[in-house]
Amino acid sequence: MARVIKQRPMNWIERLYIFECLRGLFTTLKHAARGLFRYETLPTISYPEGQPEIRHTYRAKHRLMLRPDGTPRCVACGMCAAACPAHCIFIEATQSDDPRIEKRVMRFDIDHLTCVFCGLCAEACPVDALRMDTKKIVFEHRTREEFVAHMSDLMDWDPKDYPEDAQSQMAPGGTKNKQALETWGMEVK
Amino acid sequence: MDIIESKTWIEWVITIAKFAFCFVPVLYILLLIPMERRGAGFMQDRQGPNRSYIKIPYFGKIRLFGYVQNMCDGTKLFFKEMFAPAGVNKVLYYVAPAIPFAIVFLSPCVIPWFGPMVFDWGDKAVRIPGSIIDSDVGVLLLMGFSSLSAFGAILAGWASKSKYTFLGALRTSSMTISYEVCLGLSLMGILLLAGSFNLTDIVSWQENHVWGIVAQPVAFFCFLIASIAETGRAPFDVAEGEPELVAGYHTEYGAMQFGLFYMGEYSHICINSFLIATLFLGGYAVPFVTTETMQAHMGGSLAILCGILAFLALAFLHMLHRYSKKLAATQQTHRFEVLQEYKLYKICGWAAVVVFVVLGACAWFLFNPANMAINGFAIGSFATALGTALIHLLVLVVKSVMFCWVWIWVRWTLPRFRYDHVMHLGWKIILNIALINLVVTAVIAKLVGGN
Repeated sequence: MARVIKQRPMNWIERLYIFECLRGLFTTLKHAARGLFRYETLPTISYPEGQPEIRHTYRAKHRLMLRPDGTPRCVACGMCAAACPAHCIFIEATQSDDPRIEKRVMRFDIDHLTCVFCGLCAEACPVDALRMDTKKIVFEHRTREEFVAHMSDLMDWDPKDYPEDAQSQMAPGGTKNKQALETWGMEVK
Repeated sequence: MDIIESKTWIEWVITIAKFAFCFVPVLYILLLIPMERRGAGFMQDRQGPNRSYIKIPYFGKIRLFGYVQNMCDGTKLFFKEMFAPAGVNKVLYYVAPAIPFAIVFLSPCVIPWFGPMVFDWGDKAVRIPGSIIDSDVGVLLLMGFSSLSAFGAILAGWASKSKYTFLGALRTSSMTISYEVCLGLSLMGILLLAGSFNLTDIVSWQENHVWGIVAQPVAFFCFLIASIAETGRAPFDVAEGEPELVAGYHTEYGAMQFGLFYMGEYSHICINSFLIATLFLGGYAVPFVTTETMQAHMGGSLAILCGILAFLALAFLHMLHRYSKKLAATQQTHRFEVLQEYKLYKICGWAAVVVFVVLGACAWFLFNPANMAINGFAIGSFATALGTALIHLLVLVVKSVMFCWVWIWVRWTLPRFRYDHVMHLGWKIILNIALINLVVTAVIAKLVGGN
């Protein structure tokens, strides 16, 4: 249903226009003075020298979470590939060496030229193996092939970049890795 | 030979040197374009163009606060191919952009850049007027020149064989005609008070009485609005309104032909702000100080001038220091090279401060016209006149730059008028206000002045 918005009729000062002009001029003068005297408060980021601040919830480039022994957590269930609306995840499974685990992933490719960064893959993962919190938002490569991130690329991350995240600290190199490795080793026996 | 011998050589030198003032509007373009671009940026909370740089070996990058961008754009325009669309009137098409730009060199001739220089040269008393042409019809000449520049737009629009340019040209011509009337009529009040068309007389009247803006505030506003409209800038840029006419009369132009229109527009702004400053803001007159007082204390005046310049240099240094501190605290990867560039500016700024302070001290303590002589030839009064002219010129430049800023400020604040609104404003409002103002001024001048 159409809604009628009644506008307040202008009073005679406003209809004179000149005073409203002066008000507008004062506003722009304030902004100009801000630019001149408080240049650094301007909202522009001088990219690429200055980088925008990105939160860890921002859906950026993917990474594969690691077990304490350094293997990917991925069990090659294919849920992420099934959830992906852009069909950009390619998974091949193979037999796992670990008797506790049935499958391991042999090939895990994400084509970032096709990816729409919807985050459904990370949502779909039953073992929390796939995350999108790397804060890497720039993809620049020479060829189309290089835009396809392979498993080694997705596993190449440093626990020091995720100090708040306990799960990431259990990976090799993390602060909780030793403890986690003991637990992991205990379960083998 | 008689005409040469009728003047001393110093008069000839100054008279010829005054022709350099013809280039002032062109120099103002160099000032106005960065002012417009950065000013527009700041008003919209952007940074404005600041990325171009000149790379200096063994030093780093020089950005000149974004000024290099304007050099790049100018160079680009200069080296682009000049072309003409099929079917244009070749002669008029190529001549048209030159007209507004050529007028730029004529208009400054009648503006008084400084008060008449009066000094003794040997045993002769010399008087040199501050304008290149010290004409008794100065204002009329200036108005004539500035309305001539509309020919450029009209011819360009007609010669381009395009309906957009043609409509733009029609709009320009009608706007110029309507607002010339308002311009002339709002001018009449101050002319009536000063009793002269000579710009030097008008300025000296303002110096001795009150500034035009105080005597004629209504006329000042009418004149300001009319001259903004006459330059064809926002909010009156219906002649090149992008949503309707692509780019108006210069749609079919590119490269430096477009550049000439662009520069002509900015020089027109410059001329008009000089005119407003001269007519309504006391021209070259220093506020609250008469020329006689200034000449009696020339050393002190020059010292104060140097002090103001030194203060400005210190303010610049303060801004640099403040921004360097803020920049050093960020994580931007280019901060060190920018800081190095700022270091260079800081050295220049401190050098300027030292120079100004030393010059000011010299002027304060050493300037004594009574014993200034070269080989026994007294030049004291000449030095005083030269100092007066310098101060006058700087004062006029400051006033006009202020008005140039008004042009930019208004452009980036107010939205464009609809075409019929422009005509309504011109013919039905400003013209009437100017007429009433003229009548009231005439009556009051008759009653009070009695002449």
